[in-house]
Amino acid sequence: MIRMIYLVYGILVLAAVGAAEFRGWSLDSMSTVNNVPKSVRDNPGSYRSVYSSYHHYTGGK
Amino acid sequence: MSSGTPPSEEPQKAEAKPLNCPHCGAAITLRALGQAVVVVCEGCRSILDAQDPQLKILQTFQKAMASDPPLIPLGSRGKIRGAEYEVIGVQRRSIKVEGIRYLWHEYVLFNPYKGFRYLTEFQGHWNDVVVCKDQPIVDARLSIPLEANYLGEIYQHFQTADANSDFVLGEFPWQVRVGDQARLTDYIHPPRVLSREKTGSEITWSIGEYVYGQDLWNTFHLPGSPPEAMGVYENQPSPVGADVKAIWVVCGAFLICLLALMIGFEMQSKKENVFSVRYHLGSGDPTGEASFVTDVFELSGRTSDVQVTTWSDLQNTWIDVNYALINVDTGRAWDFGREISFYSGYDSDGAWSEGNRTDQVTVPSVPSGRYYLRIEPEVEPLHPPIEYTVELQRDVPVYSFYGIGFLALILPMAAVTWRSFSFERSRWSESDHPPSPIFTSSEDDS
Repeated sequence: MIRMIYLVYGILVLAAVGAAEFRGWSLDSMSTVNNVPKSVRDNPGSYRSVYSSYHHYTGGK
Repeated sequence: MSSGTPPSEEPQKAEAKPLNCPHCGAAITLRALGQAVVVVCEGCRSILDAQDPQLKILQTFQKAMASDPPLIPLGSRGKIRGAEYEVIGVQRRSIKVEGIRYLWHEYVLFNPYKGFRYLTEFQGHWNDVVVCKDQPIVDARLSIPLEANYLGEIYQHFQTADANSDFVLGEFPWQVRVGDQARLTDYIHPPRVLSREKTGSEITWSIGEYVYGQDLWNTFHLPGSPPEAMGVYENQPSPVGADVKAIWVVCGAFLICLLALMIGFEMQSKKENVFSVRYHLGSGDPTGEASFVTDVFELSGRTSDVQVTTWSDLQNTWIDVNYALINVDTGRAWDFGREISFYSGYDSDGAWSEGNRTDQVTVPSVPSGRYYLRIEPEVEPLHPPIEYTVELQRDVPVYSFYGIGFLALILPMAAVTWRSFSFERSRWSESDHPPSPIFTSSEDDS
């Protein structure tokens, strides 16, 4: 029984890895934005990145 | 045992013969007439000679079993392996190991055409037992052989002990007495157990198979539920299956498939260099609007990932780059920020460094089309000149998936193996060959 469950589980794992590679999935997180105006190319400052207020590392030892 | 044309294997109660106990006068029903050797009176527990028409008293026994009644009442009927059997006798036996007395019950089952079979019960664990038709092969040079071969199957020695019959009730196909002693040797090959019983010079081999109490309750239509099984019994099948090795073989096959998958995608992925530009931020830059856009570039092929790599020559500073990969035609953007920092120096411990001058990020599932990057660098106000390079690659394998896949395949196996290992340790800890302890505390050593 466990062998059968593991067999199905393993196939699902391999299928998930294959799908992730084939579809180009990623583990990195990012936001998607739709309908970015074409004017951004002429005026890049008109677009505000959601990451622009990101915390910056100011350390060092 | 049988005569003439084979009759139905389901006996009728017409075989039973009513008699009276010569000791107390209680009615006695002989269910296995002609087959039983002794019968025990249910009233006074006297053991009577079932083959004597007058039911000669062989042994009287005064202690009642009221505090320990049989779990399956005498007269219960149920179908086992296609034949209907009737419970005709029960005995309670015990062994003493290291001063502790262990009790179990043995039920005698009878079918006039199939003969006798037995059910044993110990702390909620049941076995369906029959006498061996063939003689098991053992190394006769050893007083207690460590292995027995029965019908080509190897059984491992589990335990040898002297058993005592404490109580008997009903009919038996041998001359049973309270106080009978026998030397029992059990060999196991779960779910089977091979038992050698030596009484005087007589040796009997029997083969048993583990059965679940609930199945017997259903078979004999007994009310309530069977007693809960306690601990791990000698021939109890492992809950993770007998063949952990076979599951490891499957796991190995999956790992090979995973490796093949990785090699396959590695070979077929394009890893196409789409874009690579070097940028310079002079000291104090940027003074105005920091963001800018790249030239439009083409991402071709099927929907796949895009890897963005940022290289820099940072030294004791940081740069934060906000990216947006924007599709010219659809206006869809993937927005992400990356921070790169690198610090190094010397202190009393010697040279040290922190951070990394390179950063990689994978943008998922980007369809083909025309794209550009909006790049917005952020730096600390007083920074040295910074050079950084932005590079885009299309259709790059993500090896982390294989790492996750590897762990996803291995971890359940590790859990199954550990479960099986601890189950087998529990099993053998009750045997004559207990496993050595895994951990020994320092207190024990001192």
